[in-house]
Amino acid sequence: MRHKRTIAAVAAAVAGAMALAGCTGQSAAGGDTDDSTLTIWHYENDDSAMGKAWAKAIEIFEEENPDVTVDVEKQTFEQIQKNAKIVLTGDDVPDVMEFNKGNATAGQLAAQGLLTPLTDAAAERGWDEKLSGSLATTATYDEQGLMGSGEWYGVPNYGEFVGVYYNKEMLADLGLEVPTTLDEFEDVLAAFKDEGVTPLAEAGAEYPLGQLWYELVLAYGDRALVDDYQLFANDVDFHNDAMTQATEKLDEWIEKGYIASDSAALTAEDMGVSFIDGTYPIMVSGSWWFGRLATEMQADWGQFNFPGNTLHTGSSGNLWVVPANADSPSLAEEFIDITLRPEVQDVLATEGGLPVAGDPSVIEDERTRELTENFQAILDEDGLAYYPDWPVAGYYDVIVSELQSLVNRSKTPSEVLDGLQGSYDEGKADLLDG
Amino acid sequence: MADTALTERRSRADTRPRAPRGTRRRRAPWVGYLPYLLPGAVAFVVVIGYPLVTNVYFSLFKWRGGMAPLRWNGLGNYVDLLGDDKFWTSFGNSLAMIVAMVLVPTLLGLVLAAVLFDYLGRRFGERVSSVLRATYYLPQILPVAVAGVLWNWILNSQTGALNVILRGIGVETPPNWLGDPSTALPSVMLVLIWVQMGYPVVIFMAALQRVDPELYEAAELDGAGWWDRFRAITVPQIRPETFVVTLTCTVAALKVFGPIYVLTRGGPESSTLVPSYYSYLNFFDKSQVGYGSAIATVLTLVIVVVALVILGLQNRAERREREGV
Repeated sequence: MRHKRTIAAVAAAVAGAMALAGCTGQSAAGGDTDDSTLTIWHYENDDSAMGKAWAKAIEIFEEENPDVTVDVEKQTFEQIQKNAKIVLTGDDVPDVMEFNKGNATAGQLAAQGLLTPLTDAAAERGWDEKLSGSLATTATYDEQGLMGSGEWYGVPNYGEFVGVYYNKEMLADLGLEVPTTLDEFEDVLAAFKDEGVTPLAEAGAEYPLGQLWYELVLAYGDRALVDDYQLFANDVDFHNDAMTQATEKLDEWIEKGYIASDSAALTAEDMGVSFIDGTYPIMVSGSWWFGRLATEMQADWGQFNFPGNTLHTGSSGNLWVVPANADSPSLAEEFIDITLRPEVQDVLATEGGLPVAGDPSVIEDERTRELTENFQAILDEDGLAYYPDWPVAGYYDVIVSELQSLVNRSKTPSEVLDGLQGSYDEGKADLLDG
Repeated sequence: MADTALTERRSRADTRPRAPRGTRRRRAPWVGYLPYLLPGAVAFVVVIGYPLVTNVYFSLFKWRGGMAPLRWNGLGNYVDLLGDDKFWTSFGNSLAMIVAMVLVPTLLGLVLAAVLFDYLGRRFGERVSSVLRATYYLPQILPVAVAGVLWNWILNSQTGALNVILRGIGVETPPNWLGDPSTALPSVMLVLIWVQMGYPVVIFMAALQRVDPELYEAAELDGAGWWDRFRAITVPQIRPETFVVTLTCTVAALKVFGPIYVLTRGGPESSTLVPSYYSYLNFFDKSQVGYGSAIATVLTLVIVVVALVILGLQNRAERREREGV
């Protein structure tokens, strides 16, 4: 008898796992086994734009669902990033969770059957209309975990993009204007170098240099290249014109001293601090620096989009995802829906959080409005081109390592492109292989 | 005579009442100890055995982790490892880690312990030598993440204390310590020597406590200098501790992870990559669980073999000592 019961339990567990692994296309709604608690995991600081917006969404949810207890668990980005694959296989999982987007992150979880598909909910609740084009790309993943097609697995509420921060006082001292083309940008860099100032704050040990490289690829490339590179629409020859010109341009900037020759081991933090303290007049980096600069930078500063580009490094922000083993998926969907409402989106807007469905006119702070309008301009052109390390898992380290070689002058641009190509092809084959 | 005795013994045995087969068989002496061994055995299976077997099992598959399907790959991951330059680089760097965590600290630790015990301790008192011993040990109790941040402050190419000093004394382009592949590995090794040094010092000083002082006194009376006493008494007397230090530090060097993670993350250009970090990269960042497991399995095997070799050497040395060779 006991033996039979064990067999039945094992069979049920296996069947359950198989159902979870293969439950693509089903809406989560109606699958709640616990409608009294909503557990939320996120990793935003309370005083950040996102932290304030999520607090507002939770407040609204609690007002509208007085019988439901909302349990908010703060995690760190690293904790969720590294542990999600293990934690989400268990039963003790959140109902809704903030998670990084892209093939190597949310795509991996989706392919591993750890996330609930949200396609039906997206259609019913109109998320697919609010979030379109390059914003929705990061919300959908196919069976192999590749973004841009397949089921909805997450919902973004805000955006982020890479632009150029500049020290207004340092530019004014040399009588320089904000550049509007790549040539003008190079003239500004040259003008600083002529004065003995290294113009670009950079960091070779982490993401910044890779993002600058990708901005240059986007300067010479087009949407077709982005689709080939990021979405595997076609094979990519890394020695194509755009990537060759971009890598040679970056090499030229390093050689001319526009980027410090000892920046290979510097971190993003090093870069930010040296821009804030006025060591360097220009920093090419993401909108996530905005709040930090607003609080800490003494000199007057501004932000503009990478000159001349119609495509920009950036994407939707992190996603709200619903784990496959969540107890209350329909409550989770309701919460996600609330985060897209104007009340929450306006909190993001006024705090500099780049809302995806917000209105910049509600923003009073001039710098915040400028940043949000710059983001809106990119969205209007459907110009988000994602991040260079997204296509294949583990590519971040490859880009960092190859571009360190460029800074250290240990590889030529052509050798760097060979290195990038090899790991890309290998990673792509692994992904497509399943 | 002998035959008679044997016959008598056999006949006595034959007269004893014979128990039915299997009911009163005499237990082996070790069976009585089984209950005492059980907790340790269970702990071994749960903490070591099961994870090890599971790791080896996963290394035979291609697997992305989570609920993704396991796909049989046989020895494919191991074959791939053979042609993987980064894997070989990481094991090459392990040799550098052994130099930094075993060879240099053990040799320096031996000399330092002898100096502290035999010279400073006698000249300036026990308290001075204790304070110095504790100071050497300080990096060992510092969390590795804190040590990493500290050394990043020192070695940062632009704002690091070391380069600020070097620029101050007129060096225009000081080395890019952690950013240049040619200096990154030596820099990491330097940090590891600093971290590791206190361990052998403390062990060796404890060992020296048990050496008979009369040996030193006799040697001194015979006119032996410090170096002669160190060579003829200190080194041979604390040989067992030297083996323990060598074994534990070699294992630590082969599986080093924390300092690499906080200092360089294997860079620049993979110049400081080590097997454990490479396994971690595959396991977590690349979601190539099978491949990461294969690296971990090879690393485990290497550690076990190296540990067995060191233990074998230790046993042989002890045997030779007992035999007075």
